[in-house]
Amino acid sequence: MFYSYLEKWKKNRNFSKLKEKRFSYLFDKDTSGEYIVFDTETTGLNPKVDEILSIGAVKIKDNKILTSQTFEVYVKNSKEISSKSIQIHRIRPCDLQNAKNSKEAIEDFLKFIGSRPLIGYYLEFDVSMINKYIKPLFGITLPNKMIEVSEIYFEKTITLIPQGNIDLRFDTILQNCKVPNMGAHNAVNDAIMTAMIYLTLTKEKLK
Amino acid sequence: MSILDQRKLIESIHPFELLSASTLDNLMKKIDIAYYPKDTLLISKNLPSIVFYIIIKGSVSEFIDEELHNVYGAGDCFDADALIYDKCDGKFLVDEDLICYEIKKEDFLDLMQNKVVQSYFLQDFVTRHQHLKDFDAQSDLTPFLMSKVSDIFLHTACIVDKSESIHSAVLQMKELQTSVVIVEDSMKHYVVTDTDLRDAVILGGCDIYQPVGTIAVRGVISIDINDFLFNALLLMTQNEIKRVVVMQDDKIKGVLEQLDLLSFFANHSHLVAVQIDKAKNVEDLKNLQQDLKNLLIALHSKGVKVRYITKLVSALNIKIYKKVFDMCVEKSLHEKCALIVMGSEGREEQSVKTDQDNALIIQDGVDVELFREPMMKLNSHLLELGFPVCSGNVMVSNEFWRKNVRQYKLLIDGWVTSLSEANLQQLSIFLDSKFVTGNVELLNELVEYLHHSFHARDDVLAHIAKAVLNFDTPLSMFSRFLLEKNHNNKLDLKKGGIFALVHGVRTLALQYEIKETNTIQRIKELNNRGIIDKNFATELMESFDTLSSIRLKAMLEAKDLQESNYINPKNLQKIQMDLLKDSFKVINKFKKFMSFHFHLNMVG
Repeated sequence: MFYSYLEKWKKNRNFSKLKEKRFSYLFDKDTSGEYIVFDTETTGLNPKVDEILSIGAVKIKDNKILTSQTFEVYVKNSKEISSKSIQIHRIRPCDLQNAKNSKEAIEDFLKFIGSRPLIGYYLEFDVSMINKYIKPLFGITLPNKMIEVSEIYFEKTITLIPQGNIDLRFDTILQNCKVPNMGAHNAVNDAIMTAMIYLTLTKEKLK
Repeated sequence: MSILDQRKLIESIHPFELLSASTLDNLMKKIDIAYYPKDTLLISKNLPSIVFYIIIKGSVSEFIDEELHNVYGAGDCFDADALIYDKCDGKFLVDEDLICYEIKKEDFLDLMQNKVVQSYFLQDFVTRHQHLKDFDAQSDLTPFLMSKVSDIFLHTACIVDKSESIHSAVLQMKELQTSVVIVEDSMKHYVVTDTDLRDAVILGGCDIYQPVGTIAVRGVISIDINDFLFNALLLMTQNEIKRVVVMQDDKIKGVLEQLDLLSFFANHSHLVAVQIDKAKNVEDLKNLQQDLKNLLIALHSKGVKVRYITKLVSALNIKIYKKVFDMCVEKSLHEKCALIVMGSEGREEQSVKTDQDNALIIQDGVDVELFREPMMKLNSHLLELGFPVCSGNVMVSNEFWRKNVRQYKLLIDGWVTSLSEANLQQLSIFLDSKFVTGNVELLNELVEYLHHSFHARDDVLAHIAKAVLNFDTPLSMFSRFLLEKNHNNKLDLKKGGIFALVHGVRTLALQYEIKETNTIQRIKELNNRGIIDKNFATELMESFDTLSSIRLKAMLEAKDLQESNYINPKNLQKIQMDLLKDSFKVINKFKKFMSFHFHLNMVG
C-alpha cells in the first residue's frame, strides 16, 4: 500500500519536473499490452563518465517478439572510444559515421518505448545511462515500469535450490533457459536474447 | 548489424538463401520471433495456420490421425501446405519448448510470388507429399481440363455453297486466311483442305470453275463449343486430323486448329502422335517410348483424371499398333484380317504398359498360314517396343489367337457350353476386344455372334459373374484395411477391387449386349438402360477412378510388374486413404448387387 503511494508520488514529482510537455505521453497509462526489451552498448560501465554508443530495443506482445519492429540507433560520441571497449562492443569509430546525435537518438528511443513497461538484464544500468541523457535535456528520469529478468530468474531458481548461490551471469541464464546464443554482442541481439529469456521464464505453462 | 545476424540464420535455411538481397531485407522487416511452451498446439484442423514457422530452437511433432508423422527441429520450417491450401489434415504440437521465427501468412504468400520460392515449395510438395493432394483437385476438374473449346481462339469458318466455283471458294479462303473451306450442301457439311485442293486441282487437273461441291467428299468432324479442349485433342488424335469444326446450337461457329490447341497443351501429346505417324521403322518408335512415359507422368501430376490419361495413352498405343501392323503386313492382306487388342488395352484402361493381349481375326477362305510370318514379326517388334509378353500367351504369335472367323465361332460355341476355368478366362479377355486395324467387319461379326450365343443364357452368365466373388475386398468390418503379410503388409488393388468391378461390369455388358469395352463407358451404358441407377453408377465410376489412380501411381513407382498392383496404404495420405476405403465400400456394395442380380448364392 505504502509502496504504491510512494511510487505514485515519485512519478508525480518526476512529472512535475518535465520541461517539455510533448513528452508527457511517457506518463500515460499504458494500454498497448506490449513490453519493451532494450539494451545499450556503452563506452564503459560508469554512467557518470561513459556514454551510450548504441541502443537496441524490441517489443514483446503476448508470446511474440516483434522483431518486425526492431529499434536500433547509433549515437555520436563526444569522446574518442577507448580501444578496450571496442573489443567488447565492436563498434568502431567508423561505424558511427551514420550515427545520430544523442538528443535525436534519445528522442527517437522515447517515441519507440512510449509508456510501455521496460524489460532488461541489469536494466538499472541501462536505464541510468538513458537517464543521464534525458535528465539534463527534459528534466525527468524514465518513468516506465521496470522488469528485471535476472530477478525473475533468481526467484524461479531459488525455489529449486534454497540458499544456493545462483549464477546470474547472462550466458548462464541464456543456457539454462535454453535460449540460443545469437553470437555477436550488440544492442539489438542482446535485447532479443533477453526477450527470449523473459518469454521462457514467464510464458512457461503452469505445471 | 544485428539484423544481419538474423539474416544469416534465415539465409542458412533453404530456400531462403535463393532470395535476392533486397527481397531478404524486406522479409527481415516482417519476421517476428515467438515462443511456445511444450505441448502447445500450433496447427490443427480447427486451428488454421496463420503463420509460416521457422524453428530457431526446440522441436515440433506433426501428427496425422494420431500417428506421429514427422518431427521438425532447428532450421526446419513448416507448414507451407497449410498456408497454401488453407487447411491441414494433421496437427502440429510443440514437442520441446519452441522459439521460432514467424512469417505472417500474407507475407508468406507474397513471398510465394517469387518464382524460386514458389517452385521450391511446390516442387518440394510434389516430391515429399507425392502429390497426393492432386486427389482433391481431381474431384473437380483442374484448370488443365477445365478449359473448354470456347476458351480458345477459333478461326472464322469459311463456308461456301456447293454450287460455287472452286476459284471463288479459294478466293474466300484467301480473304479469311484459312486453310480449310467448309462446303455447304443443304443440311450437310463437307471440308476441303489445302491438301484436297492440291490433289484435286493441281495434280488431279480439275477445272477451277467447276462447282466446289464436286471435290468435297470428306464429312465434317465437329465438336460442341461447350465441350472440353481435351476431347478436341482426343478427337484430333483419333481421327488424325489437324482441325475440327466447332458447333454451337447446331451451327458452325468456327474452326479449331491443331496448332492453337497445342499451345494449350504443353505436353504435346499430339506431337507424340505425329511422331508415331512419321516413324519409318521400329527404331523411331522406340525412341518415342520415353516421351510417352513422360507424357503420362506430366498429365498425372497435373491432376488429370486417370480415365482421360488412359484413354489418351490407349489412343497413342493403338497408333503404334497400327504403324507396326503396316510395317509387317502386306497391303493386300490388310482388308482380309482384323487386328484386335483385348484385356486392359481393349478396355482402354491400360496406362503403363501391361501385357500385350492381342489377336488376329482372318477372313474366312483366306489362308491362315499367310499371316504366320507377319504376325511373328509384329509380335517381336512389339516386344522390342516394350510391350511385355502376355503370361497367358494371348498374342498373335500364338496360333490359338490367329484364327479365321469360322474357327472363332467354334471357340465361342465352346465357351457357351463348357465352363472350364480356361474357357472363362479366354472369354473374359475376348469380351474386351477392341478393333485396331484391318477390316472392322470381321470383329463386328464375331461380337454379334458372341452376344447372340449368350442371349438369355443367364445360367452361363452367372458362372461367369461368380468370379467377382473370388477375392475378398481387403476391408474389415470396421473399415480397416486388411493387409497381406507375405507382401510386406501391402494390399492388392487389382484383386481387391479393380478386378471385381471390371469383371462384374464386363459380365453385365455381355448380358445386355453392350458393345462398349471401356469400363466407364459400360457403366454409363448400364445406367442408360436402367440396370443401375445414376447414383450407383457415379459411385462405381468414382471408385474405379480412385483405384486406377492409386494403381497408376504404384505402377509408375514399382520396379517390376508383379509388385505394381500392390500398395501400402500407410504410405497414402489421409485423403487418399479415405477415398480408398470408400472405394472398397462401393466395391462391396457392387458385389452384393452382383450376387443378387445373378443369384450367385444359388450357383455352386
